[in-house]
Amino acid sequence: VGVAFPLLQALQRVNGRLLEENPSESLLFDVVLITSDSQQQQQSSRIISNTRHHGLEISRFCFSSEEDFTESLLKNNVHLFLTTDRDEAAQASQKGVFSALLNGKVASSEQLRVVFCGDAVIRTDAEPPSASQDAAQSFWAQLGEMRRRFGMLDSPLSLVLLTSRGGRESCGTALQTLRSRGVNMDEAYSLAGAPRSPILSLLRPHFLLINHLED
Amino acid sequence: MSQNNGDTLTPKPENAITIGISAQVLFNMDKEQQGLEDYIKYQVEHEMQPFSPGPAFSFALEAVNIQLRELYPDSKELFDVVLMTNNHPHVGLRLINTINHYKLFIERFCMTGGNSPIGYLKAYHTNLYLSSDPDKVREALEEGIAAAIVFTPEKITEVSDTQLRVAFDGDAVLFSDESERIYKAHGLEKFLEHEKEHKNKPLEHGPLKGFLEALEKLQKKFYDKGQRMDCPIRTYLVTSRGAPSSGARALNTLLSWGLEINEAHFLSGAPKGPILEKIRPHIFFDDQMSHVKGAVEIGTVACHVPYGISQGPAPK
Repeated sequence: VGVAFPLLQALQRVNGRLLEENPSESLLFDVVLITSDSQQQQQSSRIISNTRHHGLEISRFCFSSEEDFTESLLKNNVHLFLTTDRDEAAQASQKGVFSALLNGKVASSEQLRVVFCGDAVIRTDAEPPSASQDAAQSFWAQLGEMRRRFGMLDSPLSLVLLTSRGGRESCGTALQTLRSRGVNMDEAYSLAGAPRSPILSLLRPHFLLINHLED
Repeated sequence: MSQNNGDTLTPKPENAITIGISAQVLFNMDKEQQGLEDYIKYQVEHEMQPFSPGPAFSFALEAVNIQLRELYPDSKELFDVVLMTNNHPHVGLRLINTINHYKLFIERFCMTGGNSPIGYLKAYHTNLYLSSDPDKVREALEEGIAAAIVFTPEKITEVSDTQLRVAFDGDAVLFSDESERIYKAHGLEKFLEHEKEHKNKPLEHGPLKGFLEALEKLQKKFYDKGQRMDCPIRTYLVTSRGAPSSGARALNTLLSWGLEINEAHFLSGAPKGPILEKIRPHIFFDDQMSHVKGAVEIGTVACHVPYGISQGPAPK
């Protein structure tokens, strides 16, 4: 099993709970497996049967070439692209696809945990929003809506805000901004300059949404 | 205070004296009487209303920081208060507004949404954790973090706003509970005999020794600038040990640790209330609830350190 395996299981658990609440729920996680690696593409039938074997629900398999994999992402209307390859993520981000790096450390919780780095939430009004930032906002809004399908306790998904730089004001403002967009956080941490890795190893997110890919 | 560069204003965890305080200790929060969702709704509705202030201890820390910054503008060795709360981030906004209202310099916080704060306390190198939740405090102590359960009097006696005063019990607080075990097992006479015999053998350290050390580190910074007499931090030992008999071992222990507590009061078993009334500490730490209650009765903010043999049947 690979790095994303626990993530997929967690996503499927969320889908399961969403459908329990409302069998005709349409706001679900839809997973697309994409690869531009030609070796992997030659093994496509093996990959497909392997995913079935492990009980992973993958709705689409996308085999594209390196040049047009971002086109593939856009064509498939991907809301979030996850990869362990930093360059791939940067490339996709530039083309306006919201991208994030998959944490190499495998998270162990049953609950899907998503950490937003709040330093990315606030942008100054002077800068026009980039395509990727718009994509990010719309992803968060959907995630927020999904979170609202569940109560305060016993939710299969948990949204966590982490602000690294700045103090309580920037975390507070981020919380308010997210709330105004319908995204209610379950936990919030303001580090005010303290190092991030100790907190991240405690929070154990399945993925981490940060802005630095655009730097 | 402007916040563009968090670096210059916020103490870095490694150098600062980090104190984790729960929301219920920092402020006077309404207890969660209704269900969780109603409670949160109520807090959001009252978001712009500051909570009423809790014990002055937190405010006194900031007063010391102001003076430290004046003397050492580039130093990161300051008190760093981290708000640790189980509260939902919605309630967190009201907490942030309250912090703003009282102009407290609290820039770090953890709103853990119900998860145990212990991991975070360690991640932030916390020197002291104060909470009203006994389970969390016990967990922290087990992990080697100085921690205490805070009891706030109905009417708090007025305390100094120029000098932070911290009072400690000796056994099972600054020192281990080894001598208390002897007292409990063999009675007072045996205890006195034992302590006299071993007066030159330092006791093992207790859960709050590290915090006293941290306070003295900051005190030294004032002494180095010629401010020994009007140092804005003062420490006190308030112990049931008696001066002539068992007190010597306590003093020798502190000496061996290189610690110089400012005032030592040996009560030979007398109640601690009267002396605390005189001292008026911002905060007092004791392992025995009887002393904690006695302190609270006379208006002192007292903290129970649930450590050692006096806690009852199952010693760790």
